[in-house]
Amino acid sequence: MKQEARGKRQESADQRISESADQRVSGSTDQCSVLSPPSSVLSPQHSALSTSFNINLRGGWALIKKTWLMWVQHRSFFFLLAFGWMIPPLIYLFVWATAAGGASIGGLTRGGFVAYYLVLILVNQLTYSQTNWTVGDTIRYGGMNSLLLRPLSPVFDALSSEVAGKVVYMLFVIPVTAVLALILRPELHLTLTNTLAFIPALALAWALRFFWGYWLALLAFWATRADALLALQDALIFLLAGQVAPTALLPGVLRQASHFLPFRYMVGFPVEVLTGQLDAAGLLAGFAAQVAWLAVAVALFAVMWHAGVKRYSAVGG
Amino acid sequence: MIESHIVVQNLSKTYRVPEREPGLGAALKSLVRRRFTDVDAVREISFTVAPGEFVGFIGPNGAGKTTTLKILAGLLHPTGGEARVMGFAPWERRHDYLRRISMVLGNKSQMLWDIPPLDSFRVLGEIYQVPPAQFQQTLDELIELLEMQELLTKPVRNFSLGERMKCELVAGLLHRPDVLFLDEPTLGLDVSMQARLRRFLAEYNRRSGVTVILTSHYMADVVALCPRVILIHHGQLLYDGALQGLAEKLAPFKLIRLTLRNGHTEEEILRAAQNDGENAEVMEQENGQVTLRVSRAATPAITARLLNTLPVVDLSVEDPPIEAVIDQIYQEGKVEA
Repeated sequence: MKQEARGKRQESADQRISESADQRVSGSTDQCSVLSPPSSVLSPQHSALSTSFNINLRGGWALIKKTWLMWVQHRSFFFLLAFGWMIPPLIYLFVWATAAGGASIGGLTRGGFVAYYLVLILVNQLTYSQTNWTVGDTIRYGGMNSLLLRPLSPVFDALSSEVAGKVVYMLFVIPVTAVLALILRPELHLTLTNTLAFIPALALAWALRFFWGYWLALLAFWATRADALLALQDALIFLLAGQVAPTALLPGVLRQASHFLPFRYMVGFPVEVLTGQLDAAGLLAGFAAQVAWLAVAVALFAVMWHAGVKRYSAVGG
Repeated sequence: MIESHIVVQNLSKTYRVPEREPGLGAALKSLVRRRFTDVDAVREISFTVAPGEFVGFIGPNGAGKTTTLKILAGLLHPTGGEARVMGFAPWERRHDYLRRISMVLGNKSQMLWDIPPLDSFRVLGEIYQVPPAQFQQTLDELIELLEMQELLTKPVRNFSLGERMKCELVAGLLHRPDVLFLDEPTLGLDVSMQARLRRFLAEYNRRSGVTVILTSHYMADVVALCPRVILIHHGQLLYDGALQGLAEKLAPFKLIRLTLRNGHTEEEILRAAQNDGENAEVMEQENGQVTLRVSRAATPAITARLLNTLPVVDLSVEDPPIEAVIDQIYQEGKVEA
């Protein structure tokens, strides 16, 4: 039966969850035993899992693959989304590169600005958590019910969709950025330290942006239009995370705010790391801030999640 | 004695519902001070269900059926009383509990619309960490029972309601739950699809020994599947026992259908039937066939008299249709003794 099914569906057969033939059990031999209750089938490792945030790698990986399967059906939509997200940084790239002209502003030359914004386009795409926007709808329209019935914390759905999404967006963004780099000639001096430091800075930036958005999105358990706060977060990121201008170029109060608030650590900081704008002290302070804000975001997420589900199970979905 | 799979004791659920008068003024006022009313969705109901039982949960809309099911599935926290399913407090939603139950909602879908069901099934198999061999065996079995081989590779969005429901059932049973909560699984389906799903559910219950609680507004579902029914109304348990018993308890009357050789007026028939204040009522009269409603106790005497005094061609004694019985309870809100 499975082989037939596989044959019929050639279109996206390569995306299908691969499954080796030896997993197939020949025929249905004893029908009564096939459908016997599973208590005897449960392995001890299953019953050992009990808390709500268990890691379920099999489930998580399956969700990632599911998201890919769904998205290949709509790839042009996601490419359009990715294109839309590139536009504001591109505009500011041209504004600053033009303003710099032959001179430099705040230490950045024309080529420096091009490099900064091209890296920012990549970092912005990699850290943008579009799944946060759907959490509220899931809660409002009762989708949370089926997620809560599964032996897998719903945050895994969002996380898996994130991981899957990054891959799809990168298929579009990396070639486009590469072409832009060929045309616009960025000035980027990569050092080993900067490159090595960039990787954890990027990972932390993504985690921070994801959990920060997620806890805000969980406010949908209480308020119907909690996603207004996500729009506010996007606005603050635009202003304070190095999009409208590198944070070093922001006027006094805004610059201080950008260093204190979490938003710079979601986008701007990893860009500054890779483009070599930071000295050792700046790097360390940045990482410390990233870790501290991530801890706050995860704590807020955990609190909101528990309180939210408690409320949800009190009022009904 | 076999231990009960589901134990519910004095279970209560009260919702706090915000309320306000219509109009802008009231809307503004409610911004400052919100008023709440308490709605008792479930009031102190108690019952137990043994492993492998197929129980029908019936009651009018808003009776508290779905609320009770949601409490048992772990989606709602009760405001009072106790519930244990296989020893678990459902609302703790421990993963080893969730792995052993399943809830299929007739009006909600857990299938992914854009991809063929086979892909959704595999994701669920992984989430529930079903061993691959067992997964394939269960899937083959369910697909054969539901006769849905041809559906596996088409996107779910192109499915009819009945086809989607088949998928929901497969999705809900892939991990071989011990307890299955079915909330109106036949909602909106045509009669033959309803019948097919009923056959499937009966067969699956027989083969697997799964414990099932089913809610449905289609009495045919309940009659076909549930040897035992629990009736709730306004959140209270009104009846718990065999469906047949409900009809007898509730409807202390029977229907006598008569076909007479030549036409008789209503009065003539009633005169023949009634005696000593025994009550009979003509329910219907058309084409020479008459339906009488008579008290259960007086049925034998009245039947005998009718046969003696009227030129009867055909006579049958029947229980009232279950729909009529249920309707009467829903209207009156109580089960008469």
